[in-house]
Amino acid sequence: MSLPLRISDLKVTAGARNRVLVDLPRLDLQSGQSLGISGPSGAGKSTLLYAIAGLTEHCSGEVRWGDTDFLALRSGARAAFRAAHIGMVFQDFLLFDEMSADANAAIAACFAPKPARTGLRARAETSLARLGLTDTARSVASFSGGERQRVAIARALAGDPAILLADEPTASLDRDAADRVIEDLATAAREQGTTLVTVSHDQALLARMDRVLHLENGRPVGTETKRAA
Amino acid sequence: MGTLWHSLPANAQDALILVALLMPAVLIGSVIRRGFAPGPVVGAMIRRHVWTNAIFALLVAASVATGVGLLAQERALRVASAQSADKFDLVIAAPGSEITMLLATVFLQPSNVALLSGETYDAVASHPRVALAAPLAFGDSHDGAPVIGTTAEFVRYLSDDRIDGAMFETYEQAVIGSAMGLEIGDGFEPAHGHGDAAELGVHGTILTVTGRMAPTGTPWDRAILVPVEQVWEAHGMPTGHPIDDPGLGPPFDPAHFPGTPAIVVHGTSLAGLYALQSQFTRDAESMAFFPGTVLSQLHAVMGDVRQAMSLLSLVSQMLVALAILTGLLILTRLFSRQMALLRALGAPARFVFAVVWSQAALLLSTGAALGLMLGFAASALLSDIVSARTDMAVHAALGWPELHATAAFIALASVLSLVPALAVLRQPTVAGLRG
Repeated sequence: MSLPLRISDLKVTAGARNRVLVDLPRLDLQSGQSLGISGPSGAGKSTLLYAIAGLTEHCSGEVRWGDTDFLALRSGARAAFRAAHIGMVFQDFLLFDEMSADANAAIAACFAPKPARTGLRARAETSLARLGLTDTARSVASFSGGERQRVAIARALAGDPAILLADEPTASLDRDAADRVIEDLATAAREQGTTLVTVSHDQALLARMDRVLHLENGRPVGTETKRAA
Repeated sequence: MGTLWHSLPANAQDALILVALLMPAVLIGSVIRRGFAPGPVVGAMIRRHVWTNAIFALLVAASVATGVGLLAQERALRVASAQSADKFDLVIAAPGSEITMLLATVFLQPSNVALLSGETYDAVASHPRVALAAPLAFGDSHDGAPVIGTTAEFVRYLSDDRIDGAMFETYEQAVIGSAMGLEIGDGFEPAHGHGDAAELGVHGTILTVTGRMAPTGTPWDRAILVPVEQVWEAHGMPTGHPIDDPGLGPPFDPAHFPGTPAIVVHGTSLAGLYALQSQFTRDAESMAFFPGTVLSQLHAVMGDVRQAMSLLSLVSQMLVALAILTGLLILTRLFSRQMALLRALGAPARFVFAVVWSQAALLLSTGAALGLMLGFAASALLSDIVSARTDMAVHAALGWPELHATAAFIALASVLSLVPALAVLRQPTVAGLRG
């Protein structure tokens, strides 16, 4: 299952003077499509991603995932929506180093309803195996950067999300590891029909996206580009 | 309700109080954690800063141990001192300080006191309500242990007639307390006086040990008991018997009775003891007091001191808990990325709250439980030291007051732990994710 994204008149502001960080009049993304968000540092790429994830407080406009007007939801309902539909991957993995890969991948089981926990753990295990990770009972502190990011991807996929959001998923990796992560993300999104939105400077990653949105000073610049065939 | 409460056994009341004190922590914990399994995340957070967390818990433990140790030790001392006075129903002495006489007779602390006359002793000993009237004579010592002159009847009464060997039958024989280093058959020369001022060779008498009392758990375990006539004779006084009569023990002849600082009385009945106390409390001649009553007055003073110290200990525990909560507030900043991550992954705010609360409550409760054990261990160690020094059988034991105090601390800790949990919820998620 995947969900289409429709953004209308999205504005993210900050500070007492309401400085505009992101100003996006319109964006439509079909179910199962992938979108890369590019732009120079400070352009508002991650801010836009966090707004799409419903994590930013000072937002106006509309971010609609399927039929859900995400910004109209209260904080608790947004969290519940994220838990049910969104998987997230971050630049520096954000894993619990003291926990095993298994436990990290299945961390949502700690707060999921009891009946859903077993399924969540099983999916986490399957995702780890599909991403080629072995010996997953050991602490992630002993994993390489690429392996750690794959654990983070497994964590994002464990909830069987309709939407996958990734913030610079390859920025902390060397080229080989980055390529592997790009492949893993793209494959997972394709196989599960997940709508994928990723922020990146990595041209190799952006090249794998269906569309790319270029931001400068929080605003889209030029036209969205279609991924080259 | 009040009637039902009072109809319950004391242990049941204490157990219910304990449950009631623990209830806030249980209720808060079960409400906050309901439906979640925060254990793995809490474990990870504790392992990340294991030494910092260990120091937090140890600080709490030290603070709780102080309070617990104080309570347990005070009670152990109270019980042991009361036990020491068990055999001393009534003490009759020359008018003066009851506390001084209590210390001299029950706890064998040297003191200079006036003597009772032979007539007074005779009146006490021949009273129909007196089962036993033992004169005591102090003044000598051996190797730091007091040599007490008394009667064979009193030695049997004090030891419940559990004497290894034989009772003294001549002036030159002695029965020793269970903790004395002498053996049956050993000879020794009593020194005149006590402590550093004790002088050997003054009396020139060698006494032989004929028996050893079974342990009494009192300072009398480290004493040497000799015929009272021996002490009187050694000090150049009449022996309580006519000059040509080398008698041992009562009856004593008032005309040859040199005086005694105290008479230990065992009465035929409790009512009889009260009558004796009234009869022998005379302004100029004698005073009669119940050592148990004087001890309870002392215990009341000790109780006041304990309450003051308990309050100070509670304040110190609160200060430590507040310091630790401040530390936890700082520590939560270190975890702000992990907490923001959980929020980003869709964890409800209550789950993040539960994680932080559980960590704080776990540290404080672990510290409190550890403190309970440390306090008991410290009290047991102190009891051994006090026992060795005073020969009172001081036994430390964990009682309901210590359990109640610890449970109260845990309850308060569970409420205080809400503070860092609330603080974490106020941290913005995006700022946390960006570190």
